[in-house]
Amino acid sequence: MNGILPLLRQRLRRDGVQLALWTVGTVALAGAGYGGVQSSYGDEQERVALLATVMANPVILLFRGLPSGADDDQMVVFLLLPWLLILAALMSSFLAVRHTRGDEEDGRLELLSATPAARWSPSVATVIHGTIANVVLGVLVTAAFLANGAPATGSVLVGLSCTLVGVVFLGVGLVAAQLLSTSRGANSLATWILVGTFVLAGAGNALGTPSDDLTRMQSSWLTWLSPFGWAENVRAFDANAAGPIVLLAGAALVLVAGALALQSRRDIGGAFIAERAGRASARSALASNLALVARMSTPSVVGWVVGGALVGILSTSLGAVASEIGGENPAVADVLDKLSGGGGDLERGIVVVFFMMLGIFAACAGVQTIVRARQDETRGTAEAVLATAISRVRWLGDYVIVAVVAASATIAAGVLGAVLGAVSLTDGGGLMRDAALAGAGQLLPAWLFIALTALVFVVAPRLTIALGWTLVMVAAMIGLFGPLFGLDEDVARLSPFAAALTPTTTGVDAGGTWWVAVVTAAFAAGALTLMRRRELASGG
Amino acid sequence: MTSVIRTADLHKDFGRVAALDGLDLEVGEGQVHGFLGPNGAGKSTTIRILLGLARPTSGSAQVFGSDPWTGAATLHRRIAYVPGDVSLWPNISGGESIDLLSRLRGGGRGAEYTASVQRLSDAFEFDPRKKGRAYSKGNRQKVALIAAFAVPADLYILDEPTSGLDPLMEVVFRHEIERVRAAGATVLLSSHILSEVEVLCDRVSIIRAGRVVESGSLADMRHLTRVDVSFAASPTATRGAAAAVPGAQGVTEEAGRVSLTLASDAVAAALPRLGALGVEGLRVSPPSLEELFLRHYGDDPATVPATSGGTGTGGGTGTAADTAPAGQVGAEAAGTAGPLRRDRR
Repeated sequence: MNGILPLLRQRLRRDGVQLALWTVGTVALAGAGYGGVQSSYGDEQERVALLATVMANPVILLFRGLPSGADDDQMVVFLLLPWLLILAALMSSFLAVRHTRGDEEDGRLELLSATPAARWSPSVATVIHGTIANVVLGVLVTAAFLANGAPATGSVLVGLSCTLVGVVFLGVGLVAAQLLSTSRGANSLATWILVGTFVLAGAGNALGTPSDDLTRMQSSWLTWLSPFGWAENVRAFDANAAGPIVLLAGAALVLVAGALALQSRRDIGGAFIAERAGRASARSALASNLALVARMSTPSVVGWVVGGALVGILSTSLGAVASEIGGENPAVADVLDKLSGGGGDLERGIVVVFFMMLGIFAACAGVQTIVRARQDETRGTAEAVLATAISRVRWLGDYVIVAVVAASATIAAGVLGAVLGAVSLTDGGGLMRDAALAGAGQLLPAWLFIALTALVFVVAPRLTIALGWTLVMVAAMIGLFGPLFGLDEDVARLSPFAAALTPTTTGVDAGGTWWVAVVTAAFAAGALTLMRRRELASGG
Repeated sequence: MTSVIRTADLHKDFGRVAALDGLDLEVGEGQVHGFLGPNGAGKSTTIRILLGLARPTSGSAQVFGSDPWTGAATLHRRIAYVPGDVSLWPNISGGESIDLLSRLRGGGRGAEYTASVQRLSDAFEFDPRKKGRAYSKGNRQKVALIAAFAVPADLYILDEPTSGLDPLMEVVFRHEIERVRAAGATVLLSSHILSEVEVLCDRVSIIRAGRVVESGSLADMRHLTRVDVSFAASPTATRGAAAAVPGAQGVTEEAGRVSLTLASDAVAAALPRLGALGVEGLRVSPPSLEELFLRHYGDDPATVPATSGGTGTGGGTGTAADTAPAGQVGAEAAGTAGPLRRDRR
């Protein structure tokens, strides 16, 4: 095991900022969760009512943890733990692939393996690096809980769950990197496993057996197939069970050892699942930059469109369920009213909240497409295209066109999903109208972020990727969580997603449609005009 | 002859660094023009300006008589470009990339095109079915080369096109250059591989630190350089005898061989003298671009160490005297050229 230390140092250095931001974000979420729970569900009655609602409405459990009582701490774990876990898991699986298959694909691993570091040291250094990152994250999460006055045992178990789930997904990433020959492929395999097991845990909880007082849920066996489910069944601040912790540790060990065993059975650069051969010549349609951008973007756009459709289905089906419960239980209705930001009509409120989410998805689909222009520029493929008969403005314009189509398709899929979700309802027609209006309203905010990212790309190319994504995320946070964290509604409306046109009982609330439209047009015009004068900026 | 490429006093600054410092380049129609210079001399920057991918800080650049910055898209219909470092789309196959690039240039369809891609793929022994990320450097280069040669162009701009190709493929590349030359196209071939330029190019411009320091036909340049002559040292063929040959300069003896340099037109006259000395293992190396190159890059003491054996007194400094110090050190460089070249063989 030569050279572990230098390799480890190199990894910490390469990832330092990224991991610090990721960890700070996760810990901030844990810390903010307490404030959120205390302000939204300050007294026990409200919490019990919320839990009762949740028990009756399994769909919510897909996105939350395992109910284990109505205390402050138990509620925070119920509401937040899955998200803390998923952040640790994403951080770890990306980390694993980045330092194994990513390096291997770019040829760096070959360079390293030709030194005395040889075959094992890079992988072992990655395991140590990932473990350190997860331990730091776990310790800080524990600290965040302790700082809010939570009992020590539970806090440590929450932190330990985050650490172990992180290391499990470190192992998942490592194994995926052994199986597939590209980092993109390995990342998507790991992410699909992550999403799959997350949903499995949620579905298992939703199908579980509630306790008589409706404050606890017994997971069904499905949950036990998922690392997320194990972490939730630790039931920190309640049972504080050790069994699932052992399961997590065991799985982490098996996966990491499995990845190393797989690595010993293959060549460098090889993979267990070989890549298919490509076409010998291009399809007739691949004849323009527009076709190229569309082709490159399609896989990720499909992901956003499917996500959009799911959000749409949930928006109407969930709204209807919530409304039913609300009709039977006034206390619950009150809680749900708060959840959806108030305004009277519960179903419509839920549709609006979900469609804000849909708008964010659409913006992400668009921003990801514009970001591709920057990636093509740094990779050098933009140079090859711009050396052919295409103008700079047209070249960027093609990315904008594909981005607008991607964003619009995501929203269309959401509206379609909402219609599907509402078909079986008695008063489905009204909800369909609400969904169509809310969807139309979210088009402009999504386009705004496309224009904004394009403008950043033209003016400050190096910032495209970081700034493009950050701006969407900030607007998403302000729009979605601003009210929950006590932001004034006027301030929240600074987020284009919250300023969008929304349906009301009598018609529509135009919100900030006009300023969003003006700003979008200005950004788009600015980007395309300035592109005339912009040189190729290939330097990373 | 009309100029296809003409730049005048071209400057390009990147921050404080002047990548181009008054570059004057002229390439006539139908020429295969070598664009020689070491890494960092400004070759790729010049090419990017010629393609309208970068804008000059000052000065003018014209391609086919128009400004490449404003008329890029139109001009590019007539240009085929091979970048020095080819990158491909990771998940698009090599064959698809070739078709795409050809179509973006306005060709890429029809039986004639298909036949020429097939011919080039066979000649370059290229497998078009692999995905972009799976290709080695040489194979990525082949994608760009096949795409460039599959659709006819009026101007080929090739930036170190053979880096990463093996010698057999370089031969294929030369055939293609001969083919497009015969078709009347103009070629700007940037390179630091002298033998390649020597074989292919009618004219050569040597660029150094952002300006062209020498430009002309190879015949012109050879005239200004000196021929290396060397033979095995023996009791009769000594260093002293070599120094007595009319016109001999830079006489040295090293590892049992005596070497000297002669002006190109003095070689014939010197041969009888050498014969009379009874020399063995006589080697006469024609003036090469390498020597020219060394004259222009050799004035950096770090790159060419001065040797004590050289007695040369600047036979070839005339054209190198763009600046006085360069001329002076150029003499040293000419003196060292012999030993350096022997070492490499």
